[in-house]
Amino acid sequence: MLEVSDIFTAYGKIEALRGVDLTVDEGAITCLLGPNGAGKTTLMLTIAGILKPRQGSVRFRDKEMVGLSPTRIVAGGIALVPENRLVFAHMTTRENLIAGAYLRLSKSKGAVEADIQRMFQRFPRLEERSEQLAGTLSGGEQQMLAVARALMAQPKLLLMDEPSLGLAPLIVEEIFNIIRELHADGTTIFLVEQNAHMALKVAQHFYLLDQGRVTFSGTPGQVAEDEVIQRAYLGSGGSD
Amino acid sequence: MIDFIQNSLDGVMAGSAYGLLAIGFTLIFGVMRRLNLSYGPSIMLGAFVGTMLYLQYQSGALIVAAATVAGAVIAGMYVERLCFWAIRQGAAVASMVSSFVIWMQLEEIVTIFFPERTYAFPPLTTAEPLLFGPFFLKVENLIMFAAAVALTVALHVVLYRTRFGLKVRAVSENPLAARFMGINIGSVMFWAFALASGIGGVAAYLIVGADAQVTPMFGLWATFKGLIAMMLGGMGSIPGAILGGLLLGIVEAQTVWYLGAEYRDLAAYFLLFLFLIFRPGGIMGQVMAARETAAARRV
Repeated sequence: MLEVSDIFTAYGKIEALRGVDLTVDEGAITCLLGPNGAGKTTLMLTIAGILKPRQGSVRFRDKEMVGLSPTRIVAGGIALVPENRLVFAHMTTRENLIAGAYLRLSKSKGAVEADIQRMFQRFPRLEERSEQLAGTLSGGEQQMLAVARALMAQPKLLLMDEPSLGLAPLIVEEIFNIIRELHADGTTIFLVEQNAHMALKVAQHFYLLDQGRVTFSGTPGQVAEDEVIQRAYLGSGGSD
Repeated sequence: MIDFIQNSLDGVMAGSAYGLLAIGFTLIFGVMRRLNLSYGPSIMLGAFVGTMLYLQYQSGALIVAAATVAGAVIAGMYVERLCFWAIRQGAAVASMVSSFVIWMQLEEIVTIFFPERTYAFPPLTTAEPLLFGPFFLKVENLIMFAAAVALTVALHVVLYRTRFGLKVRAVSENPLAARFMGINIGSVMFWAFALASGIGGVAAYLIVGADAQVTPMFGLWATFKGLIAMMLGGMGSIPGAILGGLLLGIVEAQTVWYLGAEYRDLAAYFLLFLFLIFRPGGIMGQVMAARETAAARRV
């Protein structure tokens, strides 16, 4: 569904991605692991169209995405759950969900309202807090809201950037259960995570990213988890 | 006592105009986190377009009002593209300095075409002041007040009940997250600027109409009043802008009565000074800060 080929993205002179190749299969959960600074978020921002790569291609359902504006990319069916949630803190939970469906609002408000009800059924805690300001929600609730908000765009591909970041272990379990449910519903998910342990329990396929390059590609069964975790957190360069 | 109430009434009505000016500054600051020093001059330019139509073609009030708003909006768009969109990658201060330069440019343009010190402007009304018991109410002030209230309510409806308003609030909150929703932030900033300029145009029409004359100094005057009112109320808060404007209006009115007209501006600056020392966040500052802390703790 998503083919990333030879992507080079730089911040000024700093090369963050140096030739990234990976594939996300339709209907699967694909995971990208790697240490801090590997370039995981840079890759997410490149796919979302916020950053323009110097070179390379991102093909989504056989259409080239590089060079398109973020608006066109969201309209094309890719939605992002950002790192650190980035909920609109001074807007209510309900307004955050409406904002997620922004591109659909002019076409049909009824369908958007129906989707909000569906989100409330799936995430009852959000319904309880529907008129509360999003900034007053707990970390786990904000993560749920960020996921629901992205789903409001009815994406074919859901990008998730470190959904477990800063959350207590019990809440992390909840979030990953949600990820499993979305997968069971047929949503294609591309997940960036530092929590390799949880990520490997849900992913069908995973990649390791280190210093802007993919250093490993395989299924969770193929490699011993310890080795993966070591490479994911410390990088294959090692600091011995 | 009667004097005090009379002054407060006058102050509230003048303050409603200051509040409108402050709302214009606040909208731009809220969406862009940058200060637009060309705001006053651009709405002053609108007022001069209006006065030109009045003097050349004896145009009616509605046409002059429409021309004032249109002139302010076009000038605002010019400022936005040149000083804010073009420099959006740069530091916030670069936009502010650039808008200061355009302030000079707009004033020069106006004085080239209108070299006199003051020009006539269609008055809001020619009615006599109304008498309510012991209180005088000038009709033009009442019109100004009513229009300001109506405009503020309309703005609230736009911001909280329309798709466009949702976009503006999202971009004000978090431009990056807004982009993730597919929102085109360049377009939002442009139209929010146009909206702020339109509001300023209406404020200009009301204020200059209440005075029945316009001068190129209006740009500087509007900048000071709008900025002070915004800072008194708390930067980035629209209710704050209104409250700041009302407070400024009341304090000025009382000062003029009890101390004399020459102390009016001094009182305004002194009031700002007090706030900067004791309550730098403005009237709404603590409300906003409390929400920020609550939000920051969670995120």
